[in-house]
Amino acid sequence: MIGLQSTTPLIAAKNLVKRFGIVTAVDDVSFDIMEGECFGFLGPNGAGKTSTVKMIHCVSPVTSGELMVNGMPANVNNRKIKKMIGLVPQEITLDIDLTVIENLMVFAYFFDIPRKEAKKRIDELLEFVELNNKRDTKIDELSTGMKRRLLIARALLNKPNLIIADEPTTGLDPQARHLIWQRLRQLKRQGVTLILTTQYMEEAEQLCDRIVVMNKGKILKEGEPLKLVESEIGREVVEIRISSDEDEKLIRALSDMSCGHERVGDTLYFYCRDGHSLMKKVVELDIHNVLNRPASLEDVFLKLTGRSLLE
Amino acid sequence: MNLSYRIYYVFLRNLISYKRFIFTTFLVSLGQPFFYLITFGIGMGAYMGAFGGKSYLYFLVPGVLISSVMMSSAFECMYGTFVKMIHEHLYDSLIATPVSAEDSIAGDIAWGTFRGLVSGVLMLVVAIMMGVFPVSIVNLILLLILMVFVGVLFASLSMIVTAFAPNFDFFSYYSELVLTPMLFFSGVFFPLDKFPAWMKVFAQFMPLTHAVNISRAIFLGTYSRELILNFLILFVMEVIAFYAGIKLMKRRLIK
Repeated sequence: MIGLQSTTPLIAAKNLVKRFGIVTAVDDVSFDIMEGECFGFLGPNGAGKTSTVKMIHCVSPVTSGELMVNGMPANVNNRKIKKMIGLVPQEITLDIDLTVIENLMVFAYFFDIPRKEAKKRIDELLEFVELNNKRDTKIDELSTGMKRRLLIARALLNKPNLIIADEPTTGLDPQARHLIWQRLRQLKRQGVTLILTTQYMEEAEQLCDRIVVMNKGKILKEGEPLKLVESEIGREVVEIRISSDEDEKLIRALSDMSCGHERVGDTLYFYCRDGHSLMKKVVELDIHNVLNRPASLEDVFLKLTGRSLLE
Repeated sequence: MNLSYRIYYVFLRNLISYKRFIFTTFLVSLGQPFFYLITFGIGMGAYMGAFGGKSYLYFLVPGVLISSVMMSSAFECMYGTFVKMIHEHLYDSLIATPVSAEDSIAGDIAWGTFRGLVSGVLMLVVAIMMGVFPVSIVNLILLLILMVFVGVLFASLSMIVTAFAPNFDFFSYYSELVLTPMLFFSGVFFPLDKFPAWMKVFAQFMPLTHAVNISRAIFLGTYSRELILNFLILFVMEVIAFYAGIKLMKRRLIK
């Protein structure tokens, strides 16, 4: 499977729509996800990421449009699709009445994995997520990071060729987050297709080959993370914290630098291919409180979804 | 109805988690019916004289047996299922596996039924210790089958309630306004003969009335034609409740 570039997509969505009553959560989106790639859905809360992903792993029916998963139409009753998918859910849905090992054992039943095989896989997976010394621990006694890792182990029990991770690192400390990223990258190297939804731009940059930015149920942009940053923002960002009274004067003074600009709250942003000459001018003008930094996915995200607070 | 053998896996999951609560639940499911047996059976029984040649306990035990099955399976599929659905998100992880929503709900109905059976058997043991036996071993086995049959009915009825429950308080309406009154209108503690006609008609709409009739007939070995009707009514109620319980719960789980 490694390095295999298949031409038919593993997942193909055409004009996909999801409605809950009068609310349209996913509004006519189309995308293809290729085998072996890591595909990210980015967007603020309520953008429609989770709703989209739930249709892919067949727990939520498609309102209209077409959604094919591994050549089969996604459908709530399709046990075949569910059998090939590993889900790392957004909420911690571990069985709190059971121990670590019982959690995995029960899940192995759900996937019809024979007992002996299940035991072998559980040993391997507990090793993989570094939980083998917690086998008989109750779920309450695990830290959030451990619970998230156990969710990953659980998602891998059925040896899925597609893993869906729905905000897998929400609420984790940096150590735990990096461990999860490492594991997900390791899986990708083994040829597993990965779908990731996240609000963390760093996470998308770390893991995704391709992303879509969603907002209000629509896909706003699609592309490779670095290319998106370059085409949407440029290479550098200059942030100047200055009163908006000065905007006009300042923008005029910097107008020949061919940088885009935007005022948000107390900050004037300049988006540049090369911030060097702009910085020189800023120093000449003796302006303080200036930050020159590389452009990031977060800038793309904020530009596309708006910098103001989304309610 | 997308049902499969995976119902068993859901049942098994419940059985594994049950290990931790087994003794407390034994106590709880014994508690109420046990007091009924002591207070009504021995206390009131002393004033009742003989019922058809046998002590009042022979009248009371088959009724209390079946109502303890009712209570246990009904409560398991209300509180138990609700906790698993809302607080533990168990169904969310179940339906993401090859276990369908229907499997999960039917598995919980099977579990509620099992809890009912356990309660019924415990009561039977208590009754036997008090010297009150079913008429034969065959009848004892028939009684166990009846308990399963009645358990499925009340577990399914609770699923209908749970499908609409916004919170725990909602369940007290059902248990206080439906289950508890049913206990007193279904001929568990005294025969319905002396009731006014309208109350007798009313009692016919209660599934427990029919369940108690059958239970008593099996326990005492006194059969009549009427039992066929009792059974048919229960059967129809059960099929409808099972189907509706699963459909309505599925509507809540899959959006």
